[in-house]
Formats: sequence, C-alpha cells, structure tokens
Amino acid sequence: MLRNYFKIAIAVLKRRKFFTFISLFGISFTLTILMVLTAFFDNLLSDNYPDLRRDKSLYITTVVQTNSKEKNTNSGPCSFYFLNHYVRSLKTPAKLSISSIFSPTNTYVNNKKLVIDVKYTNDEYWDVLDYTFLEGKPYTRQQIESGERVAIISEATKKNYFGDATSVVGKFIETDNQKFRVAGVVKNVPVTMVYSFADMYLPYTLSKSDYKNKILHGMYIGILLPESENDKEKLKAEFQQMISKIPKSEMDEDLDHLSVHADPYAITFTRGLFGGESDSGLGKMVLAGTIFGLMLLLLPTLNLVNINVSRIMERSSEIGVRKAFGASSNTLVFQFIVENLILTILGGLIGIVLTLLVLNFINNSNLIDNIHLTINTTVLGFSLLACLLFGLFSGVYPAWRMSRMHVVSALKAQS
Amino acid sequence: MIKHLFILIWNKKKQNLLLMTEILFSFLVMFAVFTLVVYYYQNYRREMGFEYEPVWVINYNNNYEEKPQAGSNYALFETVSQTLKGMPEVEGISYASNNIPFSMSTNNTDVNYGKATEQADRYSADDNYPKVMQLEILEGRWFSKADDASKYRPLVINKTLRDKLFGKENPIGKLVGKEEDKNLEKVIGVVKDMKDKSSFQGFEAGCYKRLDTSSFKWISRILIKVKPTADAAFESRLHKTMSNLLPNSSIEIEHLAKKRVSKNNITLVPMIILLVVAGFLIFNVALGLFGVLWYNISKRKGEIGLRRAIGASGTSILQQIVGETVVLATLAMLVGAFFAVQFPLLHVFDLAADTYLIALVLAMAFIYGLVIVCSLYPGRQAAAIYPAVALHED
Repeated sequence: MLRNYFKIAIAVLKRRKFFTFISLFGISFTLTILMVLTAFFDNLLSDNYPDLRRDKSLYITTVVQTNSKEKNTNSGPCSFYFLNHYVRSLKTPAKLSISSIFSPTNTYVNNKKLVIDVKYTNDEYWDVLDYTFLEGKPYTRQQIESGERVAIISEATKKNYFGDATSVVGKFIETDNQKFRVAGVVKNVPVTMVYSFADMYLPYTLSKSDYKNKILHGMYIGILLPESENDKEKLKAEFQQMISKIPKSEMDEDLDHLSVHADPYAITFTRGLFGGESDSGLGKMVLAGTIFGLMLLLLPTLNLVNINVSRIMERSSEIGVRKAFGASSNTLVFQFIVENLILTILGGLIGIVLTLLVLNFINNSNLIDNIHLTINTTVLGFSLLACLLFGLFSGVYPAWRMSRMHVVSALKAQS
Repeated sequence: MIKHLFILIWNKKKQNLLLMTEILFSFLVMFAVFTLVVYYYQNYRREMGFEYEPVWVINYNNNYEEKPQAGSNYALFETVSQTLKGMPEVEGISYASNNIPFSMSTNNTDVNYGKATEQADRYSADDNYPKVMQLEILEGRWFSKADDASKYRPLVINKTLRDKLFGKENPIGKLVGKEEDKNLEKVIGVVKDMKDKSSFQGFEAGCYKRLDTSSFKWISRILIKVKPTADAAFESRLHKTMSNLLPNSSIEIEHLAKKRVSKNNITLVPMIILLVVAGFLIFNVALGLFGVLWYNISKRKGEIGLRRAIGASGTSILQQIVGETVVLATLAMLVGAFFAVQFPLLHVFDLAADTYLIALVLAMAFIYGLVIVCSLYPGRQAAAIYPAVALHED
C-alpha cells in the first residue's frame, strides 16, 4: 500500500512541475536556514577542538557578589587567588585549569602593527584542553614557578610574526615590549571558543597584573575536569558547599552575598542571559529557540498549505472515484499525509545538500577565522524532526478539506 | 466595481481565508523588518556628534592602586601626560573611563531631578575631552580648573538627557541627585549627543563626570587626538614610550575608526542575516501566491470566457484579477495594521512613532507591490483567453 502511495506521490509531483518546484523550494530553503542556524549553535556548544571533553568538565566563569539591601551587583571573572586557593582545596580528585580571559597586546613588526591576544595559564590547562602541538611542547609547572619567559603561540601568530620560517621553537617573539622564547606552536583555535582562544599562551607568573591579590574578582576562569565521570555531580555539590563557607571578609566592601557556580559549558552562557542564581536558564533558552524555530516555519507552512489545497482540488476526480468505490475518509487523509511527508522528505534531502553547500561556503570564506561548521547527527536529527513536523502541519488541513468533499461534487468538478 | 470584487471574494471565503492569513503574516514579517531598517537608517543619518577619525586610544591596565597615596599616582600620570603632549604628532590628550566610544563597556546611572528619574550612560572624562573629541558644547561650559573648589561636584549632560529631565527649563546651575544621599551634583553644561556606541545608535541619555587627581587610581584609558602625520612608525614609538613609562602595565593602542567598524558590524551582521532570511521567506510566499493565483485562473476559464463573450475587454479582465488580489491584500493588511499600530500605542519598544508609521507604509507598499506583481502574469493569462475556446471547453 505504501508503495502505491509512493508511486502516486511521484506521479503527482511530475504532473505540475511549477507547483512541485514551489513546494520543494519552500521546504528545502526553510530547512537549510534552520540547519545552518543549528549547526552554528552546535558549533558553539558541543565538543570542539581543543575543548574535547565538555560534557565531563565543569566551568567556573563568573563570580557574582551582591548587596542584598541596596541591590548592588558586582559580577565578573574570578581571581587567580579564588581559583588557586578555594577551588584547588576541593577533595574530589580533579584537574583544575586556570586561564585568563584573552586580552590584546600590540607588537610592531617592520612598522606593521600586529595585535596578539594573550592568555595566561597554569600547567594543568594543557592537560584539561587537548591542543594539537605542531612543534614543541607545553611549559611545565617548574618553568612557570621559576618565571621562565616562555610562550606557546598559535599557527597564525607564527605565520604573521615569523613569516614562512619552518621551525620557530627556541626563537624569540616580542609583544607588549617584552621578549619571550617560543616553546611550542599549536593549531589555530576559532574565536568562537571563548574559553580557549588566544594567539599566544603565557605562564600566569608572567602576568603584569598581580595574580597574588587576595580578592575574588579578577580576570581568570577555571575548568574542572574530574578524574572519573561519576565524580562530576559529587564535585559540583562539594563546590557549592565550599562557596557557602567562604567568609564574608573575603568579599568586596559593602557586598554580602556570593554566588559562583561550576556549570556545564552551555549553562555558563544561559545562566547569564536568561537565568539567575538558582535557575540555569537552559530551559528558557530552549523554549525561546523552539518558539523562534516555529515562527520561522509558520510562513512556509502556510504557503505549503495554500499550494496543497489547490493541488488537491485538482485531484477531485480521483478522490471522487475512490470515494465512490468505498474508500473511507480516514484512508484518504492517511494517503494524503503520507504523500505530503514524501514530498517534505524529498525537500529535506535537497535541504541537506543545500546546507552542506552553505556550510562549505562559510567554512571557506573566512567569515569567522578558523571556524569549521559541520552537520552532525544532532543537527540532522533535529532537521528530520522539523521536516516531519513541516509535513504534518502542511498536510493535515488540506487532507481534512479533501476528505469532507462530497462524492457527487468531487466527481462533477471536472477541470 | 469594488463592491463587486468584495462579493467575488466573499463567495470563495474559505480558500481566500488561507491566502489572507498568508498575506497577513507576510505583512507582519515585513513590518518588523522595515521597522528595524527604518530605525537603523534614521539613526545612521544622524551626525556622529564628534570626530572619531583622528582619535587613538591607549589602553593600559592600571596596577597602581596599591600605592599608599593618590599623590604618587598623580605624579606618575602627570609625567605621562607631559610626555605625550610633548610628542609633535599629538594634538591633545584626555583621560577617560573604560566606556570610551565604540568599546564594549557601558556604565549606567540614575539621574534624579525633582520627581523625574532618568537612566543615563555615565562617562568620566577630564577637562580636555571636548577638544580631543571635537564635541560641541550647546549650553553652559565644560569642566575646568574652576571646578576644583566648587561646593557641588560638576556634571555635564547631553542633549537627550537635558530634554528628558528639564524640558523647557534652563538646566544650567540646577542640582541633580537625591537630596537624602547628600550626593548632589550641579549641571554646568549641555553637550551634543554622541553616537559613541555605533553609527546606528539611537538617542540615548548620557552624563559626564569630571575626573580629578584621585581618579588616577582606577583610570585606564587615554584618548589621543593625533595629527595627520601620525603613522605606524609613530604608533610603534608611542607604544615603546608608554611601555617604558608604565612598566607594570600592558599597553594596547587602538584607533577609534577601526573600533567603529567592528562595533557597527555587531549591529549590521545580524541585520544582514535577518534580511536574507526574510528575503527567502518572502520569495517563498511570492512563488506560492503566484502559483495559487495561476491555478485559480485556470479554474475560472468558463467565467472569464463568458465575460469576454459579452464584451469585456482584455484590460478589464486583467483589472478584475489584479483588483481582486489587491482587495484581498487590503483586507489582510487591515487586520495586520491593527496589530502593528499597537506597537506605537502601547510603547512596546522605545521607538519613535514615526519610525513605526514609515515602516507601516513601506510594508504596505511592499505587500501591494508583491501581490500586484504576482497577479499580473495570471491576469494576463486570463485576459488572453479566447471566449470561443473557453466556452467550448465546458
């Protein structure tokens, strides 16, 4: 039976090519837009080089201090002291990466200005994040503690600063009027990886601002990577307990409430945008995203409904005959929805091809440096779901209209 | 004639209802798009209010707070100022708070006057700021040495804040702030609005506080107005000089002109994406509309043939088809306009009513254009029907 429906659907598609084109165009372009957007979000949120263990890690990005009476809020990245003293004291075995928010520095090569974004890190940073070293190796704890002036640079910095030199390890690079010895070169990271992007990585002991300051606010963020995945929840609970025990004397003047979270990656963004202290904001973001997606689908769906209604009237004689021979309304509705799903899935396939083309274009056009967007299984799954929804939404009403047609008028309405 | 068209539409209300819904949503989408476009365009046309082209900014992280007295910092930055002013390429310098033009940083404060409270951007700047930024002073004066000894702290406000807070009153010499806080400030001048967030910024209230010697504890930006002779070699030299003067700081030099481009992109890029998406949606709708109308014509061959047979000209058939679509669109847009006018009436967003009105008119014109273009070809097809052929078919 389904095979028959399939055959009929194809025959109908071939009948009026212009209508088929409109339907397929609408479906495929809508899906392309949805898929490119989801691919972009997916790229922002899922595991990507060099942050390959996001679902295992916990991110400590923001310290919020408030005054409950006057509603003053002071919010920003953590201090080195907070991470190294308090977060380090957690008993659950875990690696703690500490790195500063990248900040730009200037250097002048042959009177040409070069902006180099610098990130200060500890040694565990290189264990928690999986950078690919093209040459050299990361600096060690010993090197950091002795204040050795070593730097890890990105491939792009190597090219901009040294030109086409083959090996640069051991050479000196100057930025912000300071000289560093290159210890390694890593593969480029896109700027969308906000916690791991930089052009140059330096030991935190070389930071010009004082990392020993006993305050909570600073310019660092922490990533906790538990040794076993089962420890993640335990670590989170212990973290919250530790926060509640931090004495008031450690906080900024006039502020009396401290809120810091060790969150999964996506929540570090949603908490700030949609959530609050007790609300991760993830639910709200998913809701907003779904509403936006449905809004985007609304117009093409209406369009498809319109076309489907027209096309169905065209087939009134066929419907009349089938009804006259005893086909029930349900059978006809089912048949029509199946046909419509076949159409939308066909449109979906074209959409996937278009998406691949668009993503390929974005990846090659350097709109965002070093970004690599791909369709992955999640995106594909969501798109197919969208496709099904699309097919159902646009098929149900015309099918219902059709099934209510009277046999006599259907047979008579001959065009 | 129009009455007749209404009857024709009413006769096929079920089918037309769907078409109307589609036109209605297309209209709402276009209204939203045009509102944004008109808003940004109106803002873009307004003057910047200052000259960003010759201004550079030096960012240094201020690690000097632990010094016991403010005085020692003052001495250090006095040296910095003198050295910078001594450079032949430098025309003027001004220290400023982190929210310099086209930066990501913003700083808000409430300004109270009488019972009125307005939220405004708070900038801190020193006495040379208007000279460096070429900012025009409309009323009163900018900060000067005379403010050192004044009883109240001086405050300069921008035109928007002046209009919001004082209306027709003369703001000069008025005290703002809350009485009970003992933190009153005296308005000494009014300056032009600066579009310092991007070229697409709307009217935003702002106020300027004076930097004094104690501010050197936290200030970390210097704005420099340079002469046209300033080139990359000078920038490199400037960087070296600053690094030597402030050995504990990281120095970064930026150009406001470049910062403006990247700040504008933050508005422009989503806008372009939105336009592309809306473009595809509308193209989609246009094709659908065209298809449905075309199909409808082929169903109405008999009716049109009959009209031709009793003497209707091709033009009047074309008029009828296009007219029907236009009436349909009008009905849909009346409903749409009802929703659209709620935005200015309820002040949903803080936009001027004329922005919405222009957008409304543009969206209507666009939809009319769209439906007319979509119905022209089917209308022509209908006009070309030979009565004999059409009537013969039935």
